[in-house]
Amino acid sequence: MNSSHCLRFESVSSRREFFGRAGLGLGAAALASLLAPSPAQATSGSRPTSHFLPRAKRVISLFQSGGPSHLELFDPKPLLKERFNEDLPDSVRRGQRITGMVAGQARFALQPSKYSFQRCGEHGTWISDLLPHTQRIADDLRVVRSMRTEAINHDPAITFFQTGSQQPGRPSFGSWIDYGLGSLNENLPAFLVLISVASDNKAGQGLLARLWGSGFLPSRHQGVQLRGAGEPVLYLENPDGVTRPHRRAMIDRVAALNRLRWRETGDPEIETRIAQYEMAYRMQASVPEVMNLDGEPESTFKLYGEDSRKPGTFARNCVLARRLAERGVRFIQLYHRDWDHHGGLTERMPVITRDVDQPSAALVSDLKQRGLLDDTLVIWGGEFGRTPYAQGEAKADHYGRDHHGKAFSLWLAGGGIQSGPAYGETDDFGFNVASDPVEIHDLQATLLHCLGLDHTRLTFRFQGRQYRLTDVHGHIVRGLLRT
Amino acid sequence: MIARAMIRLKRMAVLLLGLATMARAADSPAPVDFNREVRPLLSEYCFQCHGQDASQRKAGLRLDTRAGALAVREGKQAVFPGKPEASALLRRIQSNDPDQLMPPPETQRSLSAEQKAVLKRWISEGARYDQHWAFVPPRRLTPPGPARPIDAWIQSRLAREGLAPSPPATPEAWLRRVSLDLTGLPPALDELNRFSNAVQTQGEPAWASEVDRLLSSPRFGERMAIDWLDAARYADTHGFNNDSARSMWRWREWVIESFNANLPYDRFITEQLAGDLLPQATLDQRIATGFSRNHVINSEGGIIDEEYRVEYVADRVRTFSTAWLGLTLECARCHDHKFDPISQRDYYGLFAFFNNVPEHGEDGRIANAVPLLPAPTPLQRREMDRQLAEIKRLDRWIEQASRQALPLPPSPATPIQARSSAGRTERENTNVISLFLSCDNLLTQGQPFSFPSTPPELIEGVAQQAWKSQRGPLARLDKGILHFTKPATVALWIRPDENNSRDVALFSNVSYSGNPAQQGFGKGQEIRLMDGQIEVRWSDFFPAYALRVRGESAPLRAGEWRHLAVVLGGSRSAADVRIFLDGEEIPTRVLYDGLTSKDAPSTPYQIGAELTPGAPSFQGAVDELRILGRAPRSGEIRAWFAEHAEHLGTRAGTGIPSGARHITSLRRAPAKSTDAKLRANLEERDRLWENHLAYRRALPSTMVMSELPEPRPTFILRRGAYDAQGDRVEPSVPESTLAPWPAGAPKNRLGLARWLTHPEHPLTARVVVNRMWAQLFGVGLVKTLEDFGSQGEYPSHPELLDWLARDFIESGWNVKGLLRAMTLSQTYRQTSAAPPESFARDPENRLLARSPRLRLPAEVLRDQALALSGMLQESLGGESVFPYQPEELYKNIVVGADYPGTRWNLSRGRDLYRRSLYTFWKRTLPHPAMLTFDAPDREFCTVRRSRTNTPLQALILMNEPLFVEAAQRLGARIQSEGGIDLDARLRWAFRLATSRNPSVSELVELKRAMAPSLEGSENHAYASLAGILLNLDETISRE
Repeated sequence: MNSSHCLRFESVSSRREFFGRAGLGLGAAALASLLAPSPAQATSGSRPTSHFLPRAKRVISLFQSGGPSHLELFDPKPLLKERFNEDLPDSVRRGQRITGMVAGQARFALQPSKYSFQRCGEHGTWISDLLPHTQRIADDLRVVRSMRTEAINHDPAITFFQTGSQQPGRPSFGSWIDYGLGSLNENLPAFLVLISVASDNKAGQGLLARLWGSGFLPSRHQGVQLRGAGEPVLYLENPDGVTRPHRRAMIDRVAALNRLRWRETGDPEIETRIAQYEMAYRMQASVPEVMNLDGEPESTFKLYGEDSRKPGTFARNCVLARRLAERGVRFIQLYHRDWDHHGGLTERMPVITRDVDQPSAALVSDLKQRGLLDDTLVIWGGEFGRTPYAQGEAKADHYGRDHHGKAFSLWLAGGGIQSGPAYGETDDFGFNVASDPVEIHDLQATLLHCLGLDHTRLTFRFQGRQYRLTDVHGHIVRGLLRT
Repeated sequence: MIARAMIRLKRMAVLLLGLATMARAADSPAPVDFNREVRPLLSEYCFQCHGQDASQRKAGLRLDTRAGALAVREGKQAVFPGKPEASALLRRIQSNDPDQLMPPPETQRSLSAEQKAVLKRWISEGARYDQHWAFVPPRRLTPPGPARPIDAWIQSRLAREGLAPSPPATPEAWLRRVSLDLTGLPPALDELNRFSNAVQTQGEPAWASEVDRLLSSPRFGERMAIDWLDAARYADTHGFNNDSARSMWRWREWVIESFNANLPYDRFITEQLAGDLLPQATLDQRIATGFSRNHVINSEGGIIDEEYRVEYVADRVRTFSTAWLGLTLECARCHDHKFDPISQRDYYGLFAFFNNVPEHGEDGRIANAVPLLPAPTPLQRREMDRQLAEIKRLDRWIEQASRQALPLPPSPATPIQARSSAGRTERENTNVISLFLSCDNLLTQGQPFSFPSTPPELIEGVAQQAWKSQRGPLARLDKGILHFTKPATVALWIRPDENNSRDVALFSNVSYSGNPAQQGFGKGQEIRLMDGQIEVRWSDFFPAYALRVRGESAPLRAGEWRHLAVVLGGSRSAADVRIFLDGEEIPTRVLYDGLTSKDAPSTPYQIGAELTPGAPSFQGAVDELRILGRAPRSGEIRAWFAEHAEHLGTRAGTGIPSGARHITSLRRAPAKSTDAKLRANLEERDRLWENHLAYRRALPSTMVMSELPEPRPTFILRRGAYDAQGDRVEPSVPESTLAPWPAGAPKNRLGLARWLTHPEHPLTARVVVNRMWAQLFGVGLVKTLEDFGSQGEYPSHPELLDWLARDFIESGWNVKGLLRAMTLSQTYRQTSAAPPESFARDPENRLLARSPRLRLPAEVLRDQALALSGMLQESLGGESVFPYQPEELYKNIVVGADYPGTRWNLSRGRDLYRRSLYTFWKRTLPHPAMLTFDAPDREFCTVRRSRTNTPLQALILMNEPLFVEAAQRLGARIQSEGGIDLDARLRWAFRLATSRNPSVSELVELKRAMAPSLEGSENHAYASLAGILLNLDETISRE
């Protein structure tokens, strides 16, 4: 137990930390380990320290919002070319429900991908030529081609992916991690969110604050958004005319008066308040420091690409993700938008893959080079895939695809994940999973496992029930784990 | 240090064993209380597998009923009353064999030794089962002592715990507390002074009259609304990832005004649940039903309509049950409730009450979703009455004057020129389409139209000939020519026959065949005749993405020629649709205002029939059809009518009254009138009428409940899935568990309201008084405000809860009376200051040995800053406003399309400083100052907010522009109002912020605050002093 933990204990012991009222949960896990068998846990849920040896200490999620097409990126299907424009056999669709976008289509014409694929790396992982940089790091990745989700529309699907439920109200993945493990840095929040849109400013489907919300967990576990434009954290900067010494003096004065009040009232909450003003003051320095890339060598921008010089881009956010990982931020959530390619997939795909390919690959190599990949779990993917049949007419060069949840792909790297050949397979149409299906809850259970958390034991009591990220489902996918 | 911390932690942990155990230590010989001690254990550890949900039941054993627990199965008995050693339950929970141990080790749950001992004692004492306390109607009990009932129960519990209440707070501290609790605003300095004096001079009555003053303040309703808006998941947007704007602020006004008027709470419930079903429902009662429409609505293209429609109904059930029953009924959506005696059938019985709304799953992309209602405010209603009175007055004058004016000679039949062709298309100028069909013959050569196989019959028309329908459409135009985004005018004469269907198209290029789920279903442009009224539909995807406007005139009658004109302004907004009959504009009603697309289809139009195969067609005659790609010119529509009206009027059976004809003639050619004043008044009358109708079209709309004429059948949905229908169920309530259905009550939402507000209902009053209690005391008597079921917490003061509930019902559900009793109690009056032991002993303050000290809710925090700085704008109600919010908040997050609600249009002037409950509430991205201070996002019903303490809160209070501006303005106030010398100003300012005088040490600190900034301007120094005051823990807390 390091010194900051001791510090923390001293301060929490007299406060209402038990009721989840205090600020950023530095050392929360350690605290919880002391309390683990106590009845307090029975009323607020089970907040363990690691249940077993964690492989990963932190997570970087590179979420591709809108539903990237597995058939264009990771799952080549020659059969679609052979049977171009033929109808999807009913035996494949098996009555699977489809969205209203195509419900009225007279037929579901098979649509091959116009993009070529390469077998990459030692394991010969298929990766599209749209992702040349990703092809080069194939040996560090584990592509999962057998993902499955129940949802077929964006809102429920992305909510399901991030919170384990299609309905709103549950804590996000990052909040669960913050709740379960707490922070490793006393100057930065444990759960940070960075968002970008396609480089030509196309945005597509909206995001929702609930995706990084804390649901029924205390709201201190909600993600804090770091912004490329304006203040990096809302209200971080002092107003015009207020200097840092002014702010220091003001906080000192407030603290002095608060201490007097504490003596009068005896309310321990006042002590927490004083500590939170101190943390705010520290964040005013630590956040600009992490956002400021002046000290980064030229090689960084070369590695991540020219876009990384521009605040607010996905590439920039990938550099920031590495910097935050270095500083011990527990959960770093990126979003990149505009993968929803109903029509014009062939116009959008080159733009958006160019946005994300180089920086995603750079992040993995960079983490590896710095020795951080082993304990950083990286996830790359979206809420669902896209249909093997065209939305509208099947065409060789210009086509679109509808949402598809029955099978899709994503990749994982680092922290406890065994790199290797692609996991799982889809049928020849890329419609159904043919082997080793991975449900969303399975993925979540597996990721928690990498972090040393048992998904059946990370619980919170709400409305008379013990809730979990994985609800009552989820199996650890052993085949993905490093042994 | 660690060791010490651990010891302290362990000590705390012991204290945390909970209230249930507090009492027990003292009086262990008392028999085990099943509801308080045993049921929570069985519920927590056993019911999951041995409860009422038969589908999950293991080994056939159920422990939720005594019969189940005592049943002999395979020679074993789980519970043998009086004989723990013969009870399998006890053996299993004490087993060392992991295969035998209950609960099973893999559930990660285990009973403590103490809990096992409780179960053992319970069995020894006879294993008595009691009905769950919350399902038994509250009893009227005699308070244990002479004090006010609230104090009597609180103090008797304190005495049992060996604790004493705290001394009273100072009058000023109490006034600040009660002002913040009841109005959400701190007391003004003169209110503090007046009250201090009154306490001196009048004593006790001064306190009561202060509470009465606060309860009668209009600010009271605003404060009470905050909590109810959370429960009712009120927001200004629809939610989901489009999250576009909706208009429900009229419902919010209803809530505020209901609290202010002290509407009895049973009526508060009834009007929100079933206001539309009350006899002669008023507009306000209909507006109230918006409660059940505040749920999120999805407009994502391609969703499955039924899936989301079912979600909305489920949300209504959930809100109804959380807010008023205090039960987690939604657990029974997929399976029988694991813990409470609520079956899946019970759930769908309740579902059936809310399942009859004429609504859609996909709706609300750019406006309110159906059903909706124009909802003028009282002010607007008065204004409309005034307008109509003025018009009526002018009409009387015109009527008089025109009788005296020279009768006009009837015009000869319109000169017939250029009528050789039946129709012609021309471009009036560069690109405006204009099509005129005279309907005088049946020639199609060179015409832009064709006839069906049975062409219309030629009959005498308004000018020469007209077309009379035979079978199917009268004619088919070659292509669609009107746009969604450009002005359009369609005018024609029609004469319906007797044998029309109640809903037929007069002009249409829409087909309603095909799959209603497919994007583009029902797309096109239509004018329909429905029950004698004109309906205009411009649709992108019917019905959700359409504008639908219905005329409100005397119905068109069979056999009468009428001139109809429809004008669209080209903005795609329903407020831009106007309907004219016989040259005069008529009032309209918006049924739908959701047209999203810019592109109209180019499908050919049909006259007298829609494109749907087999749909009934219009029976009757049409004449003189005009389709213009522009707005009409001034007087043009009236001229089209008048052109034929005068000589039509000379024919029998045309239905055009001669007076109207006459006045129309006068209007059409006012120059003919010799009377200049008549002419002027005719013009004035036109202007007033046009303004009146424009005013009506701009009235706010609000979403409401209504019932389908034929109830939609309700089925049990297996696993809760919309497409897995099981048995059909009728509307019903869990009668045997909760309360019987009131005799004679209708099986609809109104009956449901009667059931819920029945004086013997075990839950409603308890749940409501408990929530009010929590508003004043920080924690409910039942801590789980949202769950009174067996997984909820047992009340800290069950008798008091019952007494309050019973008293509330008997007082006529008098909310103000209830709050008055609570705030005037000694319990409420105690000081919140206490020695550290008190906080350690009872950190959550469940025993109320002191008054709670609580950080203010998000809204109250901001409102207080507005009030202290003198910026608060106190006007009540109205549309939502857009105060300061970071410009970048929506960037990269909101949907790419420019739907309403995707941009923050910063308010100006007064609206920047309205109370926070009027701030525009965007569900997917609420104002950061709200979320950071623990407001929920309002995606669903929430009755309990967490109360956190975070660094982001400090950043808001220090740097958020409103708080910065408040500090500046407060700084200026200190200088102008605080007196002359520094001391006086510091005291004044401190008292303003905290309602008390600073101590000597505090004064020293305040002075030090002024010292370092002496280098800066004086204004700056006072602004930073004000900033300090607004950031004090005391200022942001209710003490």
